[in-house]
Amino acid sequence: MVPSGGEALLSVRRAAKFYGGKLVFKDVSCEVRPGEILLVAGPNGAGKSTLMRMMAGLSRPSAGEVILRAEPERTAYLGHATFIYPGMTALANLGFWGTMYGLSPSRDELVTLLTRVGLERAAEEKAGSFSRGMAQRLNLARVYMVRPTLLFLDEPGTGLDPRSLALLRREITGFRDHGTGVVWISHHVDKDTALADTVLALGGRRVEYFGPAREYAPEAEAC
Amino acid sequence: MMVKILAAAAAVALLAHQYMIWFYAPVAQSGPVQKIFYMHLPCSWWALASFFVVFVSSLLYLFRRDPAYDRAAGAAAELGVLFATLSLITGSVWARAEWGHWWVWDPKLTTSLIMWYVYAGYLVLRSTPMGRERKALVCAVLGIVAFLDVPLVFFAAKLWGSAHPDGVARESSGMAPRMWHTIFTGLAAFGLVWGAMLLTRVRQLATLARLEAMLVWDEEA
Amino acid sequence: MLKRSAAMAAKDLRLSISGGQGLVQAVLLGLLLIFLFSLSKPLGGVITPQAAGAIFWLASAFGLVLVFNDLFAIEEANGARVGILSSPAPVHAVWVGKGLAGLCLLLVSQLVFLPATAAFLGQNVYGPWWLLLATLIGADIGLVVIGALLGALSQGQAARESLLSVIVFPLLLPVLLAGITLFAMCFSPEPMGEPDSWLGLILAFDALFAGAGLFLFPFVYSGEE
Repeated sequence: MVPSGGEALLSVRRAAKFYGGKLVFKDVSCEVRPGEILLVAGPNGAGKSTLMRMMAGLSRPSAGEVILRAEPERTAYLGHATFIYPGMTALANLGFWGTMYGLSPSRDELVTLLTRVGLERAAEEKAGSFSRGMAQRLNLARVYMVRPTLLFLDEPGTGLDPRSLALLRREITGFRDHGTGVVWISHHVDKDTALADTVLALGGRRVEYFGPAREYAPEAEAC
Repeated sequence: MMVKILAAAAAVALLAHQYMIWFYAPVAQSGPVQKIFYMHLPCSWWALASFFVVFVSSLLYLFRRDPAYDRAAGAAAELGVLFATLSLITGSVWARAEWGHWWVWDPKLTTSLIMWYVYAGYLVLRSTPMGRERKALVCAVLGIVAFLDVPLVFFAAKLWGSAHPDGVARESSGMAPRMWHTIFTGLAAFGLVWGAMLLTRVRQLATLARLEAMLVWDEEA
Repeated sequence: MLKRSAAMAAKDLRLSISGGQGLVQAVLLGLLLIFLFSLSKPLGGVITPQAAGAIFWLASAFGLVLVFNDLFAIEEANGARVGILSSPAPVHAVWVGKGLAGLCLLLVSQLVFLPATAAFLGQNVYGPWWLLLATLIGADIGLVVIGALLGALSQGQAARESLLSVIVFPLLLPVLLAGITLFAMCFSPEPMGEPDSWLGLILAFDALFAGAGLFLFPFVYSGEE
C-alpha cells in the first residue's frame, strides 16, 4: 500500500495568502513525499495554520498553486480540535466518520480500532465524559481507520500529558515508517525537529528556512 | 477627477430637475403634493439598480475572488439602503397626502420595504466581526439570495394585495408629456448623484483596504 | 452522497433529540408565542383564521432559526467542520443532511404548534386536509432550504440567532405569506378562494432556492476563516 517511488503527495508552488489586503505569507514552496515528515515551524501569527488549511484544500491560495496527489479518501487531519460529538458514544462517533470517508466499517472493525487505542472499555460511553487524552485517542482511532497516505497534524499535542505526548510521537513516526507523508505543526519544535525529515519555517511573511531537518537551527527563529 | 465631473454634472442636473418639477411640469389633479413623486420614483429606481449591482458584484466575487468586487457590493448595498430609505419616506408622505394613510398595501411599496429589511440585514452582516475572506464569501452569497428573492416578494405582495380589499390599486392616470420629461430628467439626475456616490465610496473602501494592509499585526492569522 | 447525507441527518437528529437545546427551545418559544398572541383575542370575539395562520407561521419561522442555529453549532463544538470538509464527503452532503434533519425537527415542532393553534386560538380545520398538508410540507421545504443555506452563517459564532432571524425573516416573506393565506383558507368556514397561484408561489420558491442553495452552499460552508 506504500505509494511507489518518490512522487510528491503534495506540492505547494509559490503560494501566497492574503487576508483582504493583508499579506499572511508569500512565495511558499514545498513538497511532501511518502514516508516523510515535514515540520512546519514559525512564531504565532506566521500563518502556519493558514498554510495547512491551504494544503488540505480547505482554503484557496491567493496566488500560486497547491497540488494534492493523495486521494481524499486516504487523507486525514488530526488537530488540537478533536472532531468529537460529545452526545454520542465512542463507537457512534467513529462510525459516523467511517461513513463520511465512505468506508461503512462493521461494529467489529470499530471495536478493533478502539482496542488499538485502548478505549475498548469506553466504547459505549458518551464521548463527552472523556478526558482530553481519551478524546485525542478516539481522534487517533479515526486516523487509523482512514489509513492515510497523507496526514495533516495541527498541534495535536496541545493539552496532552507527557505520557500521551510520548505515545503520540511514537504513533506519528509509526505512520511515517509505513509510508505516510506527514505535515506537522508542532508546539515543541525543538524536540520534534529530531523526528522530522524536512523543516519549513515561516516568519516575516515568507519562508525563513526550508531544508533538511538536521541542518535547521531554531535559534535563528528567535530574532 | 471622474468623481468631480460626475458630481458637477449631478449638481447641474439636480438643479434642472428641480426647475422642471416646479415650473415645467403641470400641476396634477391631486395638487402640488404629487410633485413628491418626481423624487420618489428615481430613488426607488436607483435603489433597485444598487441591489442589482450588489447581485452582479457578488457573483463576480464568487468566481474571481477579487476583493474589489466585494468592496463594490458593499458600497452598492449601502447606497441601496440609503435610496430605499428615501424612497420609503417619500412614498409614505405621498400616500398620506393622496390616500390619507401613511402606509398602503401596494406591491411596489411592500417590495421596497422588504428589500430594505433584507439589505439592512446585509449591512449588519457586513459589520459583524469575522475573517475577511469568509465575510466576503458569506456576504456575496447573501447578496445573490437577496436579489433572487425580489421577484418572488413582488409576486407574493401582488397576490396578497389582490385578495385583500384594503389594498389600494394605484392607477396610472394619464400623464402629460411634460410630466414624462420631468421623470426622465429626475432619473438621469439621481443617476449621476448615485454614480458619484458609488464611485467615491468604492474608492474610500479601496483606500481603507490599502491602509489596513500597511498595518501589520503579528497575530495568529 | 445520499448515504452520507443520511448519516449526517441521523447523527444530527440523534444529537438534537438527546440533549440538543434547539428543538426544545423551538417548541417552547413557539408555544409561548401562540399563547401570548391568544391574549390579543378581543373579549367575546374570535381570532380570525388569517391571524391564526400568521401566528402559526411566525412560531415556525422562529423555530426554524433556533433549529438551524443548533444544527450548525453541533459541528463547531469540537471543530468537526474541518474534519467534514477535509473528508472526501461532498460538502453538499452537509447541506442535504442538515436540511433533512431540520425538516424533521421543524415538522415535529409544528405537530405541537398545530393543536396549540386550535386550542389557544380557537381554530378548526374546515378546508380540505390535503391542502393543509401540502401547504405545510411545501412551505416547510422553502423554510428549510433557506435555513440550511444561511444557518451556516452561524458557523464560528459570527452570526447569532438574532442576526440570523433579521436576515432570514424578510427573505422568507413570500413563502410565509403563502402559508398564512392557505392556512387561513383551511381554518375558515367560508367557501375557499383559489389556492392555485399560492401553491405555485411556494413551488417556485422551493425550486429557486433549492437551486441557489446547491450552487451557493459550498461558498458559505468552507474552511476559510
